[in-house]
Amino acid sequence: MDIFVLVKQVPDPEATIRIKTDTELEIENKYFTNFFDEIAIEAALRLKEKFGGKVTVLTVDHRRVDALRRGISMGADEAVQIADPALEGSDPFAIARILTAYLKDKPFDLILAGRQAMDDDSGIVGIALAEALNIPHVHSIIGLEVDPSKKEAKVIREVENGKEHLTCPLPALFTCQKGLNTPRIPLVMNVMKAMKAQIKKVDSASLGMEPNKVGSSSLQVKVLRYLPPPKRPPVKMIKEDYPENVKILVRLLREEAKVL
Amino acid sequence: MAKEIWVLAEHQEGKVKGITFELLSGSIEFSKQTGQKVAAILLGSGLEEATKSLIPFADKIYLLENPLLSPYTSDAYESALLPLLKEHEPSIFLGGATSTGKDLFPRLAMHLETGYAPDCTELSVNEEGRLTIKRPLFGGKVFAEMVFSEARPQMATVRNHTFLIRENPGRSAEVLPIPTRLDPSSLKKRVIHLEKSPGARLDITEADIVVAAGRGIKGPENFKLIEDLAEVLNASVGTTRAVVDEGWRDLKDQIGKSGKNISARLYMAFGISGAIHHILGIGTCKTIVAVDTDPNALIFNYADYGIVGDLFKIVPALTEELKRVLAS
Repeated sequence: MDIFVLVKQVPDPEATIRIKTDTELEIENKYFTNFFDEIAIEAALRLKEKFGGKVTVLTVDHRRVDALRRGISMGADEAVQIADPALEGSDPFAIARILTAYLKDKPFDLILAGRQAMDDDSGIVGIALAEALNIPHVHSIIGLEVDPSKKEAKVIREVENGKEHLTCPLPALFTCQKGLNTPRIPLVMNVMKAMKAQIKKVDSASLGMEPNKVGSSSLQVKVLRYLPPPKRPPVKMIKEDYPENVKILVRLLREEAKVL
Repeated sequence: MAKEIWVLAEHQEGKVKGITFELLSGSIEFSKQTGQKVAAILLGSGLEEATKSLIPFADKIYLLENPLLSPYTSDAYESALLPLLKEHEPSIFLGGATSTGKDLFPRLAMHLETGYAPDCTELSVNEEGRLTIKRPLFGGKVFAEMVFSEARPQMATVRNHTFLIRENPGRSAEVLPIPTRLDPSSLKKRVIHLEKSPGARLDITEADIVVAAGRGIKGPENFKLIEDLAEVLNASVGTTRAVVDEGWRDLKDQIGKSGKNISARLYMAFGISGAIHHILGIGTCKTIVAVDTDPNALIFNYADYGIVGDLFKIVPALTEELKRVLAS
Protein backbone atom coordinates (compact mmCIF):
# COMPACT_ATOMS: atom_id res chain seq x y z
CA MET A 1 0.00 0.00 0.00
CA ASP A 2 1.20 3.48 -0.86
CA ILE A 3 0.20 5.91 1.84
CA PHE A 4 0.73 9.65 2.15
CA VAL A 5 0.45 11.23 5.60
CA LEU A 6 -0.15 14.99 5.92
CA VAL A 7 1.78 16.37 8.88
CA LYS A 8 2.39 19.74 10.47
CA GLN A 9 4.54 21.20 13.20
CA VAL A 10 2.29 23.32 15.46
CA PRO A 11 2.72 25.39 18.64
CA ASP A 12 2.80 23.27 21.78
CA PRO A 13 -0.36 23.69 23.91
CA GLU A 14 1.90 25.26 26.57
CA ALA A 15 3.32 27.87 24.14
CA THR A 16 2.44 31.50 24.82
CA ILE A 17 0.54 33.24 22.04
CA ARG A 18 0.75 37.04 22.14
CA ILE A 19 -1.25 39.48 20.04
CA LYS A 20 1.45 41.68 18.52
CA THR A 21 -0.69 43.89 16.32
CA ASP A 22 -4.34 43.62 15.21
CA THR A 23 -3.46 41.13 12.51
CA GLU A 24 -0.21 39.66 13.77
CA LEU A 25 0.49 37.05 16.42
CA GLU A 26 3.73 36.34 18.22
CA ILE A 27 4.06 32.64 18.96
CA GLU A 28 6.55 31.35 21.48
CA ASN A 29 9.11 29.11 19.80
CA LYS A 30 7.81 25.88 21.35
CA TYR A 31 6.55 23.55 18.66
CA PHE A 32 5.62 19.90 18.46
CA THR A 33 4.26 17.54 15.84
CA ASN A 34 0.50 17.93 15.76
CA PHE A 35 -0.96 15.36 18.16
CA PHE A 36 -3.50 14.01 15.65
CA ASP A 37 -0.88 13.79 12.87
CA GLU A 38 1.18 11.38 14.96
CA ILE A 39 -1.91 9.18 15.19
CA ALA A 40 -2.15 9.33 11.38
CA ILE A 41 1.54 8.38 11.01
CA GLU A 42 1.06 5.45 13.40
CA ALA A 43 -1.99 4.23 11.45
CA ALA A 44 -0.01 4.37 8.19
CA LEU A 45 2.95 2.49 9.68
CA ARG A 46 0.70 -0.28 11.01
CA LEU A 47 -0.83 -0.77 7.55
CA LYS A 48 2.64 -0.86 5.98
CA GLU A 49 3.82 -3.42 8.54
CA LYS A 50 0.81 -5.59 7.72
CA PHE A 51 0.61 -5.25 3.94
CA GLY A 52 3.95 -3.83 2.80
CA GLY A 53 4.29 -0.69 0.67
CA LYS A 54 5.53 2.79 1.37
CA VAL A 55 4.71 5.61 3.78
CA THR A 56 5.51 9.17 2.73
CA VAL A 57 5.12 12.06 5.16
CA LEU A 58 4.25 15.37 3.54
CA THR A 59 4.19 18.92 4.90
CA VAL A 60 3.50 22.38 3.48
CA ASP A 61 5.77 24.64 5.49
CA HIS A 62 8.83 26.58 4.39
CA ARG A 63 10.19 26.99 7.92
CA ARG A 64 9.74 23.79 9.87
CA VAL A 65 10.53 20.20 8.90
CA ASP A 66 10.49 18.68 12.41
CA ALA A 67 7.16 16.95 11.78
CA LEU A 68 8.74 15.21 8.78
CA ARG A 69 11.70 14.14 10.91
CA ARG A 70 9.31 12.87 13.54
CA GLY A 71 7.60 10.79 10.84
CA ILE A 72 10.93 9.39 9.60
CA SER A 73 12.03 8.54 13.15
CA MET A 74 8.77 6.66 13.69
CA GLY A 75 9.37 4.66 10.50
CA ALA A 76 8.13 6.57 7.45
CA ASP A 77 10.08 5.83 4.25
CA GLU A 78 10.15 9.25 2.63
CA ALA A 79 9.61 12.87 3.51
CA VAL A 80 8.48 15.68 1.23
CA GLN A 81 8.45 19.38 2.11
CA ILE A 82 6.47 21.73 -0.08
CA ALA A 83 8.21 24.99 0.69
CA ASP A 84 7.88 28.39 -0.87
CA PRO A 85 7.78 31.87 0.67
CA ALA A 86 4.95 32.60 -1.83
CA LEU A 87 2.76 30.29 0.25
CA GLU A 88 2.97 32.57 3.31
CA GLY A 89 -0.51 33.61 4.45
CA SER A 90 -2.25 30.70 2.71
CA ASP A 91 -5.46 29.49 4.29
CA PRO A 92 -6.38 25.78 4.57
CA PHE A 93 -8.09 25.85 1.15
CA ALA A 94 -4.92 27.19 -0.51
CA ILE A 95 -2.89 24.50 1.28
CA ALA A 96 -5.35 21.91 -0.06
CA ARG A 97 -4.89 23.31 -3.60
CA ILE A 98 -1.11 23.02 -3.27
CA LEU A 99 -1.38 19.46 -2.00
CA THR A 100 -3.76 18.66 -4.85
CA ALA A 101 -1.23 19.93 -7.37
CA TYR A 102 1.44 17.73 -5.82
CA LEU A 103 -0.65 14.58 -5.37
CA LYS A 104 -2.88 14.55 -8.45
CA ASP A 105 -0.51 12.49 -10.60
CA LYS A 106 0.96 10.36 -7.82
CA PRO A 107 -0.19 6.79 -7.24
CA PHE A 108 -1.57 6.17 -3.75
CA ASP A 109 -4.05 3.94 -1.97
CA LEU A 110 -4.65 6.11 1.05
CA ILE A 111 -4.04 9.60 2.41
CA LEU A 112 -4.13 10.03 6.18
CA ALA A 113 -4.20 13.29 8.13
CA GLY A 114 -4.93 14.46 11.65
CA ARG A 115 -8.48 15.45 12.61
CA GLN A 116 -7.32 19.06 12.81
CA ALA A 117 -4.11 21.01 13.39
CA MET A 118 -3.78 22.38 16.89
CA ASP A 119 -3.10 25.92 15.68
CA ASP A 120 -6.06 27.27 13.74
CA ASP A 121 -8.12 24.17 14.68
CA SER A 122 -9.87 24.33 11.28
CA GLY A 123 -10.07 20.69 10.21
CA ILE A 124 -10.32 21.76 6.57
CA VAL A 125 -7.17 20.75 4.67
CA GLY A 126 -7.72 16.99 4.51
CA ILE A 127 -11.40 17.17 3.58
CA ALA A 128 -10.87 19.91 0.98
CA LEU A 129 -8.00 17.90 -0.53
CA ALA A 130 -10.28 14.86 -0.86
CA GLU A 131 -12.83 17.04 -2.65
CA ALA A 132 -10.24 18.40 -5.08
CA LEU A 133 -8.83 14.91 -5.76
CA ASN A 134 -12.39 13.63 -6.18
CA ILE A 135 -11.91 10.82 -3.67
CA PRO A 136 -14.12 9.97 -0.67
CA HIS A 137 -13.09 10.97 2.84
CA VAL A 138 -14.12 9.99 6.35
CA HIS A 139 -13.53 12.58 9.07
CA SER A 140 -12.41 11.87 12.63
CA ILE A 141 -11.95 8.09 12.49
CA ILE A 142 -11.40 5.98 15.60
CA GLY A 143 -11.25 2.61 13.85
CA LEU A 144 -9.61 1.45 10.61
CA GLU A 145 -9.32 -1.91 8.83
CA VAL A 146 -8.16 -2.22 5.26
CA ASP A 147 -8.78 -5.04 2.80
CA PRO A 148 -6.19 -4.38 0.07
CA SER A 149 -7.50 -7.14 -2.23
CA LYS A 150 -10.98 -5.56 -2.28
CA LYS A 151 -9.51 -2.04 -2.25
CA GLU A 152 -11.85 -1.20 0.57
CA ALA A 153 -11.60 0.12 4.11
CA LYS A 154 -13.89 -0.37 7.08
CA VAL A 155 -13.79 2.68 9.30
CA ILE A 156 -15.48 3.89 12.46
CA ARG A 157 -16.19 7.55 12.91
CA GLU A 158 -17.35 9.46 15.96
CA VAL A 159 -20.78 11.05 15.75
CA GLU A 160 -22.81 12.77 18.48
CA ASN A 161 -24.95 9.80 19.41
CA GLY A 162 -22.45 6.99 18.92
CA LYS A 163 -20.00 5.38 16.57
CA GLU A 164 -20.77 5.10 12.89
CA HIS A 165 -19.38 2.09 11.03
CA LEU A 166 -18.80 2.68 7.33
CA THR A 167 -17.25 1.04 4.30
CA CYS A 168 -15.29 3.19 1.92
CA PRO A 169 -13.54 2.22 -1.34
CA LEU A 170 -9.88 3.15 -1.81
CA PRO A 171 -8.21 5.41 -2.70
CA ALA A 172 -9.62 7.58 0.06
CA LEU A 173 -8.61 10.14 2.67
CA PHE A 174 -9.22 9.65 6.38
CA THR A 175 -8.63 12.16 9.17
CA CYS A 176 -7.57 10.55 12.43
CA GLN A 177 -8.90 11.13 15.94
CA LYS A 178 -7.61 10.18 19.36
CA GLY A 179 -8.61 6.60 20.15
CA LEU A 180 -7.53 5.19 16.76
CA ASN A 181 -4.16 4.11 18.20
CA THR A 182 -1.35 5.10 20.54
CA PRO A 183 1.55 6.47 18.49
CA ARG A 184 4.89 4.73 19.05
CA ILE A 185 7.78 6.56 20.69
CA PRO A 186 10.69 6.44 18.24
CA LEU A 187 13.99 4.87 19.36
CA VAL A 188 16.77 7.35 20.09
CA MET A 189 18.85 5.73 17.35
CA ASN A 190 16.08 6.40 14.83
CA VAL A 191 15.70 9.98 16.02
CA MET A 192 19.42 10.48 15.31
CA LYS A 193 19.08 8.91 11.87
CA ALA A 194 16.05 11.06 11.08
CA MET A 195 18.08 14.21 11.78
CA LYS A 196 20.24 13.33 8.79
CA ALA A 197 17.53 11.90 6.55
CA GLN A 198 17.07 13.35 3.09
CA ILE A 199 14.01 15.58 2.74
CA LYS A 200 12.71 16.16 -0.76
CA LYS A 201 11.95 19.82 -1.30
CA VAL A 202 9.31 21.01 -3.77
CA ASP A 203 8.44 24.64 -4.59
CA SER A 204 5.04 25.91 -5.69
CA ALA A 205 6.21 27.13 -9.12
CA SER A 206 7.25 23.60 -10.07
CA LEU A 207 3.71 22.52 -9.18
CA GLY A 208 2.30 25.02 -11.66
CA MET A 209 0.37 26.93 -8.98
CA GLU A 210 -1.04 30.24 -10.15
CA PRO A 211 0.17 32.90 -7.70
CA ASN A 212 -3.38 34.18 -7.04
CA LYS A 213 -4.49 30.69 -5.92
CA VAL A 214 -2.17 30.64 -2.91
CA GLY A 215 -0.94 33.01 -0.22
CA SER A 216 -2.82 35.89 1.33
CA SER A 217 -4.26 37.10 -2.01
CA SER A 218 -6.38 33.93 -2.27
CA LEU A 219 -8.21 34.35 1.04
CA GLN A 220 -12.03 34.28 1.06
CA VAL A 221 -12.22 34.92 4.80
CA LYS A 222 -9.80 37.48 6.21
CA VAL A 223 -8.72 38.26 9.75
CA LEU A 224 -9.85 41.75 10.76
CA ARG A 225 -8.19 41.48 14.12
CA TYR A 226 -7.04 39.05 16.76
CA LEU A 227 -8.63 39.33 20.17
CA PRO A 228 -7.86 37.92 23.61
CA PRO A 229 -10.39 35.36 24.84
CA PRO A 230 -13.48 36.98 26.41
CA LYS A 231 -12.66 37.89 30.00
CA ARG A 232 -14.42 35.88 32.68
CA PRO A 233 -15.65 37.70 35.77
CA PRO A 234 -13.63 36.98 38.93
CA VAL A 235 -14.55 33.79 40.75
CA LYS A 236 -16.93 33.98 43.68
CA MET A 237 -15.61 31.54 46.31
CA ILE A 238 -18.32 30.16 48.58
CA LYS A 239 -16.56 30.02 51.94
CA GLU A 240 -19.39 28.89 54.18
CA ASP A 241 -19.07 25.48 55.82
CA TYR A 242 -20.58 22.29 54.47
CA PRO A 243 -23.50 21.76 53.98
CA GLU A 244 -24.43 25.47 53.97
CA ASN A 245 -22.11 26.04 50.95
CA VAL A 246 -24.14 23.60 48.84
CA LYS A 247 -27.39 25.44 49.58
CA ILE A 248 -25.76 28.78 48.75
CA LEU A 249 -24.38 27.43 45.47
CA VAL A 250 -27.81 26.24 44.38
CA ARG A 251 -29.35 29.58 45.32
CA LEU A 252 -26.70 31.51 43.36
CA LEU A 253 -27.15 29.30 40.31
CA ARG A 254 -30.89 29.91 40.37
CA GLU A 255 -31.09 33.55 41.40
CA GLU A 256 -27.86 35.15 40.21
CA ALA A 257 -26.63 33.09 37.25
CA LYS A 258 -30.22 32.05 36.41
CA VAL A 259 -29.08 28.81 34.84
CA LEU A 260 -31.39 26.47 36.73
CA MET B 1 -33.76 38.52 -6.28
CA ALA B 2 -32.60 39.00 -2.75
CA LYS B 3 -30.33 36.17 -1.78
CA GLU B 4 -31.31 33.99 1.11
CA ILE B 5 -29.84 32.91 4.44
CA TRP B 6 -29.66 29.12 4.55
CA VAL B 7 -29.36 26.80 7.49
CA LEU B 8 -28.57 23.10 7.10
CA ALA B 9 -31.15 21.26 9.22
CA GLU B 10 -29.70 18.40 11.23
CA HIS B 11 -31.92 15.70 12.58
CA GLN B 12 -31.71 12.47 14.50
CA GLU B 13 -34.41 9.81 14.58
CA GLY B 14 -36.81 12.16 12.80
CA LYS B 15 -36.35 15.06 15.22
CA VAL B 16 -34.61 18.32 14.33
CA LYS B 17 -31.65 19.06 16.59
CA GLY B 18 -31.31 22.04 18.92
CA ILE B 19 -28.40 23.50 16.98
CA THR B 20 -30.64 23.91 13.91
CA PHE B 21 -33.28 25.87 15.85
CA GLU B 22 -30.47 27.99 17.33
CA LEU B 23 -29.06 28.79 13.88
CA LEU B 24 -32.51 29.57 12.48
CA SER B 25 -33.17 31.86 15.47
CA GLY B 26 -29.90 33.69 14.77
CA SER B 27 -30.74 33.88 11.07
CA ILE B 28 -34.15 35.42 11.80
CA GLU B 29 -32.29 38.15 13.71
CA PHE B 30 -29.98 38.70 10.70
CA SER B 31 -32.93 38.78 8.29
CA LYS B 32 -34.39 41.74 10.19
CA GLN B 33 -31.25 43.69 9.30
CA THR B 34 -30.86 42.52 5.71
CA GLY B 35 -34.44 41.87 4.58
CA GLN B 36 -33.35 38.45 3.32
CA LYS B 37 -35.46 35.33 3.60
CA VAL B 38 -34.46 32.51 5.93
CA ALA B 39 -34.49 28.98 4.53
CA ALA B 40 -34.04 25.65 6.27
CA ILE B 41 -32.42 22.98 4.09
CA LEU B 42 -33.75 19.59 5.08
CA LEU B 43 -32.39 16.36 3.56
CA GLY B 44 -33.24 12.74 4.32
CA SER B 45 -36.30 10.53 4.28
CA GLY B 46 -39.36 10.29 6.51
CA LEU B 47 -39.18 14.00 7.30
CA GLU B 48 -42.78 14.85 8.16
CA GLU B 49 -42.29 15.60 11.84
CA ALA B 50 -39.02 17.42 11.17
CA THR B 51 -40.64 19.59 8.49
CA LYS B 52 -43.54 20.50 10.76
CA SER B 53 -41.24 21.54 13.61
CA LEU B 54 -39.24 23.84 11.30
CA ILE B 55 -42.19 25.76 9.85
CA PRO B 56 -42.30 28.55 12.52
CA PHE B 57 -38.52 29.03 12.25
CA ALA B 58 -38.10 29.79 8.53
CA ASP B 59 -39.65 31.52 5.50
CA LYS B 60 -38.88 28.55 3.28
CA ILE B 61 -38.02 24.90 3.70
CA TYR B 62 -36.19 23.26 0.83
CA LEU B 63 -37.11 19.63 1.26
CA LEU B 64 -34.78 17.11 -0.39
CA GLU B 65 -36.20 13.62 0.11
CA ASN B 66 -34.47 10.47 -1.03
CA PRO B 67 -33.79 7.23 0.87
CA LEU B 68 -30.13 7.55 -0.12
CA LEU B 69 -29.91 10.70 2.03
CA SER B 70 -30.59 8.69 5.17
CA PRO B 71 -28.40 8.25 7.13
CA TYR B 72 -26.13 11.21 6.38
CA THR B 73 -23.05 10.69 4.24
CA SER B 74 -21.01 13.55 2.80
CA ASP B 75 -21.20 11.89 -0.65
CA ALA B 76 -24.98 11.90 -0.83
CA TYR B 77 -25.49 15.29 0.82
CA GLU B 78 -22.92 16.90 -1.44
CA SER B 79 -24.45 15.44 -4.61
CA ALA B 80 -27.89 16.64 -3.58
CA LEU B 81 -26.83 20.09 -2.34
CA LEU B 82 -24.41 21.31 -5.01
CA PRO B 83 -27.02 21.79 -7.76
CA LEU B 84 -29.32 23.61 -5.32
CA LEU B 85 -26.50 25.85 -4.04
CA LYS B 86 -25.45 26.71 -7.61
CA GLU B 87 -29.02 27.51 -8.62
CA HIS B 88 -29.91 29.73 -5.67
CA GLU B 89 -26.52 31.17 -4.69
CA PRO B 90 -27.55 31.92 -1.11
CA SER B 91 -25.87 34.80 0.66
CA ILE B 92 -25.10 32.82 3.81
CA PHE B 93 -25.07 29.08 4.52
CA LEU B 94 -24.78 28.03 8.17
CA GLY B 95 -24.38 24.62 9.74
CA GLY B 96 -23.58 23.29 13.18
CA ALA B 97 -19.97 22.73 14.22
CA THR B 98 -21.03 19.10 14.52
CA SER B 99 -19.93 15.77 13.12
CA THR B 100 -22.10 16.57 10.08
CA GLY B 101 -21.29 20.26 9.57
CA LYS B 102 -17.55 19.93 10.04
CA ASP B 103 -17.55 16.93 7.67
CA LEU B 104 -19.62 18.44 4.87
CA PHE B 105 -18.89 22.18 4.74
CA PRO B 106 -15.17 22.01 3.80
CA ARG B 107 -16.05 19.86 0.75
CA LEU B 108 -18.83 22.20 -0.38
CA ALA B 109 -16.71 25.33 0.12
CA MET B 110 -13.76 23.80 -1.76
CA HIS B 111 -16.04 22.87 -4.65
CA LEU B 112 -17.76 26.27 -4.78
CA GLU B 113 -14.45 28.13 -4.22
CA THR B 114 -16.10 30.19 -1.54
CA GLY B 115 -15.24 31.23 2.02
CA TYR B 116 -15.82 28.96 5.01
CA ALA B 117 -15.15 29.64 8.69
CA PRO B 118 -15.36 26.64 11.04
CA ASP B 119 -16.36 26.47 14.70
CA CYS B 120 -17.63 30.05 15.07
CA THR B 121 -18.66 31.37 18.48
CA GLU B 122 -20.07 34.76 17.42
CA LEU B 123 -21.63 35.97 14.17
CA SER B 124 -23.04 39.26 12.91
CA VAL B 125 -24.13 40.73 9.57
CA ASN B 126 -24.17 44.28 8.24
CA GLU B 127 -27.04 45.73 6.14
CA GLU B 128 -25.53 44.41 2.91
CA GLY B 129 -25.58 40.94 4.42
CA ARG B 130 -21.83 40.65 4.83
CA LEU B 131 -20.94 38.21 7.56
CA THR B 132 -18.38 38.82 10.31
CA ILE B 133 -17.52 35.99 12.68
CA LYS B 134 -15.38 35.27 15.69
CA ARG B 135 -13.68 31.93 16.19
CA PRO B 136 -11.18 30.52 18.68
CA LEU B 137 -7.65 29.68 17.56
CA PHE B 138 -4.96 27.69 19.36
CA GLY B 139 -7.68 25.93 21.33
CA GLY B 140 -9.11 29.23 22.56
CA LYS B 141 -5.97 31.11 23.62
CA VAL B 142 -6.74 33.72 20.96
CA PHE B 143 -9.87 34.63 19.01
CA ALA B 144 -9.94 35.87 15.42
CA GLU B 145 -12.53 38.32 14.15
CA MET B 146 -12.90 37.52 10.46
CA VAL B 147 -14.85 38.92 7.54
CA PHE B 148 -15.93 37.26 4.29
CA SER B 149 -14.91 38.40 0.79
CA GLU B 150 -17.32 38.83 -2.15
CA ALA B 151 -17.66 35.08 -2.83
CA ARG B 152 -21.05 33.55 -2.02
CA PRO B 153 -22.32 31.73 -0.11
CA GLN B 154 -20.55 32.82 3.05
CA MET B 155 -20.27 29.50 4.83
CA ALA B 156 -19.76 28.92 8.53
CA THR B 157 -20.21 26.19 11.09
CA VAL B 158 -21.27 27.38 14.52
CA ARG B 159 -20.84 25.96 18.00
CA ASN B 160 -23.80 24.75 20.01
CA HIS B 161 -25.43 27.41 22.24
CA THR B 162 -24.02 30.37 20.29
CA PHE B 163 -27.59 31.58 19.68
CA LEU B 164 -30.60 31.18 21.95
CA ILE B 165 -33.63 29.43 20.50
CA ARG B 166 -36.41 32.01 20.03
CA GLU B 167 -39.59 31.35 21.96
CA ASN B 168 -41.74 32.96 19.27
CA PRO B 169 -39.86 32.75 15.99
CA GLY B 170 -43.00 34.00 14.20
CA ARG B 171 -42.33 32.73 10.69
CA SER B 172 -44.43 30.37 8.63
CA ALA B 173 -42.40 28.54 6.07
CA GLU B 174 -43.49 27.61 2.61
CA VAL B 175 -42.42 23.99 2.04
CA LEU B 176 -40.68 23.51 -1.32
CA PRO B 177 -40.05 19.86 -2.24
CA ILE B 178 -36.98 19.62 -4.50
CA PRO B 179 -36.91 16.53 -6.73
CA THR B 180 -33.66 14.82 -5.74
CA ARG B 181 -32.35 12.00 -7.90
CA LEU B 182 -29.13 10.35 -6.82
CA ASP B 183 -27.15 7.72 -8.67
CA PRO B 184 -26.39 4.98 -6.10
CA SER B 185 -23.24 3.96 -8.01
CA SER B 186 -21.78 7.46 -7.56
CA LEU B 187 -22.08 7.23 -3.77
CA LYS B 188 -18.93 5.66 -2.46
CA LYS B 189 -19.30 5.56 1.30
CA ARG B 190 -21.85 3.30 2.92
CA VAL B 191 -22.94 3.43 6.54
CA ILE B 192 -23.23 -0.16 7.76
CA HIS B 193 -24.57 0.59 11.18
CA LEU B 194 -24.65 3.06 14.01
CA GLU B 195 -23.37 1.75 17.30
CA LYS B 196 -25.45 3.94 19.58
CA SER B 197 -23.99 5.28 22.80
CA PRO B 198 -25.61 3.66 25.83
CA GLY B 199 -28.12 5.81 27.68
CA ALA B 200 -30.26 8.62 26.42
CA ARG B 201 -27.96 11.52 27.28
CA LEU B 202 -27.02 14.14 24.69
CA ASP B 203 -23.43 14.44 23.52
CA ILE B 204 -21.42 16.79 25.78
CA THR B 205 -21.15 19.30 22.89
CA GLU B 206 -24.95 19.45 22.63
CA ALA B 207 -26.04 19.37 26.27
CA ASP B 208 -27.22 22.54 28.00
CA ILE B 209 -25.65 21.41 31.25
CA VAL B 210 -22.48 19.34 31.59
CA VAL B 211 -21.20 17.93 34.89
CA ALA B 212 -17.71 16.48 34.96
CA ALA B 213 -15.23 14.84 37.26
CA GLY B 214 -11.46 14.52 36.99
CA ARG B 215 -8.96 12.27 38.64
CA GLY B 216 -10.19 13.54 42.03
CA ILE B 217 -13.05 11.04 41.66
CA LYS B 218 -10.49 8.30 42.46
CA GLY B 219 -12.00 5.47 40.44
CA PRO B 220 -14.48 4.65 37.65
CA GLU B 221 -17.05 3.24 40.09
CA ASN B 222 -17.41 6.64 41.79
CA PHE B 223 -18.77 8.24 38.61
CA LYS B 224 -22.12 6.96 39.89
CA LEU B 225 -22.19 10.11 42.07
CA ILE B 226 -21.77 12.32 39.00
CA GLU B 227 -24.32 10.28 37.02
CA ASP B 228 -26.87 10.79 39.81
CA LEU B 229 -26.30 14.54 39.76
CA ALA B 230 -26.58 14.54 35.96
CA GLU B 231 -29.89 12.70 36.22
CA VAL B 232 -31.41 15.45 38.39
CA LEU B 233 -30.16 18.22 36.09
CA ASN B 234 -30.83 16.36 32.83
CA ALA B 235 -27.15 17.01 32.17
CA SER B 236 -24.47 15.08 30.27
CA VAL B 237 -21.34 13.76 31.94
CA GLY B 238 -17.90 14.91 30.83
CA THR B 239 -14.39 14.22 32.03
CA THR B 240 -10.70 15.00 31.63
CA ARG B 241 -7.91 13.55 29.55
CA ALA B 242 -6.29 11.98 32.64
CA VAL B 243 -9.47 10.02 33.39
CA VAL B 244 -9.84 8.84 29.78
CA ASP B 245 -6.18 7.83 29.68
CA GLU B 246 -6.77 5.78 32.86
CA GLY B 247 -9.54 4.01 30.96
CA TRP B 248 -12.20 5.05 33.48
CA ARG B 249 -14.46 6.78 30.93
CA ASP B 250 -15.03 6.68 27.17
CA LEU B 251 -13.10 9.03 24.91
CA LYS B 252 -16.33 10.59 23.66
CA ASP B 253 -16.78 12.26 27.06
CA GLN B 254 -13.34 13.93 27.10
CA ILE B 255 -13.38 17.72 27.35
CA GLY B 256 -10.33 19.69 26.21
CA LYS B 257 -7.74 20.12 23.56
CA SER B 258 -7.46 16.52 22.40
CA GLY B 259 -11.15 15.94 23.15
CA LYS B 260 -14.17 18.17 22.67
CA ASN B 261 -14.80 21.87 23.14
CA ILE B 262 -18.04 22.50 24.97
CA SER B 263 -20.19 25.63 25.16
CA ALA B 264 -22.61 24.55 27.87
CA ARG B 265 -24.91 27.03 29.62
CA LEU B 266 -23.76 25.52 32.93
CA TYR B 267 -20.58 23.53 33.45
CA MET B 268 -19.73 21.96 36.81
CA ALA B 269 -16.23 20.55 37.43
CA PHE B 270 -15.56 18.24 40.39
CA GLY B 271 -12.06 17.17 41.35
CA ILE B 272 -10.60 18.79 38.24
CA SER B 273 -7.45 20.81 38.89
CA GLY B 274 -7.65 22.68 35.61
CA ALA B 275 -4.81 21.69 33.29
CA ILE B 276 -4.56 24.06 30.33
CA HIS B 277 -5.75 21.25 28.00
CA HIS B 278 -9.00 21.11 29.93
CA ILE B 279 -9.46 24.86 30.43
CA LEU B 280 -9.19 25.43 26.66
CA GLY B 281 -12.16 23.12 26.13
CA ILE B 282 -14.54 25.03 28.44
CA GLY B 283 -13.66 28.64 27.52
CA THR B 284 -17.02 29.37 25.89
CA CYS B 285 -19.23 27.89 28.64
CA LYS B 286 -21.55 30.50 30.13
CA THR B 287 -21.41 29.66 33.85
CA ILE B 288 -18.68 27.52 35.39
CA VAL B 289 -18.75 25.94 38.86
CA ALA B 290 -15.61 24.33 40.31
CA VAL B 291 -15.28 22.12 43.38
CA ASP B 292 -11.83 20.89 44.38
CA THR B 293 -9.96 20.12 47.60
CA ASP B 294 -6.94 22.20 46.52
CA PRO B 295 -7.57 25.92 47.14
CA ASN B 296 -4.83 26.73 44.60
CA ALA B 297 -6.32 24.60 41.80
CA LEU B 298 -6.07 26.51 38.50
CA ILE B 299 -9.69 25.78 37.68
CA PHE B 300 -10.77 28.42 40.22
CA ASN B 301 -9.18 31.12 38.01
CA TYR B 302 -11.70 30.30 35.30
CA ALA B 303 -14.78 29.51 37.37
CA ASP B 304 -17.70 31.79 38.25
CA TYR B 305 -18.41 29.96 41.50
CA GLY B 306 -15.94 27.93 43.52
CA ILE B 307 -16.05 25.70 46.57
CA VAL B 308 -12.94 24.32 48.23
CA GLY B 309 -14.14 20.98 49.45
CA ASP B 310 -14.47 17.25 49.12
CA LEU B 311 -16.50 16.19 46.11
CA PHE B 312 -17.51 12.99 47.91
CA LYS B 313 -19.46 15.13 50.38
CA ILE B 314 -20.50 17.98 48.08
CA VAL B 315 -21.83 16.04 45.08
CA PRO B 316 -24.37 13.89 46.99
CA ALA B 317 -25.50 16.92 49.00
CA LEU B 318 -25.86 18.95 45.81
CA THR B 319 -27.89 16.17 44.19
CA GLU B 320 -30.24 16.07 47.18
CA GLU B 321 -30.55 19.86 47.39
CA LEU B 322 -31.32 20.12 43.66
CA LYS B 323 -33.90 17.33 43.90
CA ARG B 324 -35.60 19.25 46.69
CA VAL B 325 -35.42 22.66 45.03
CA LEU B 326 -36.28 21.62 41.49
CA ALA B 327 -39.27 19.58 42.67
CA SER B 328 -40.85 22.57 44.39
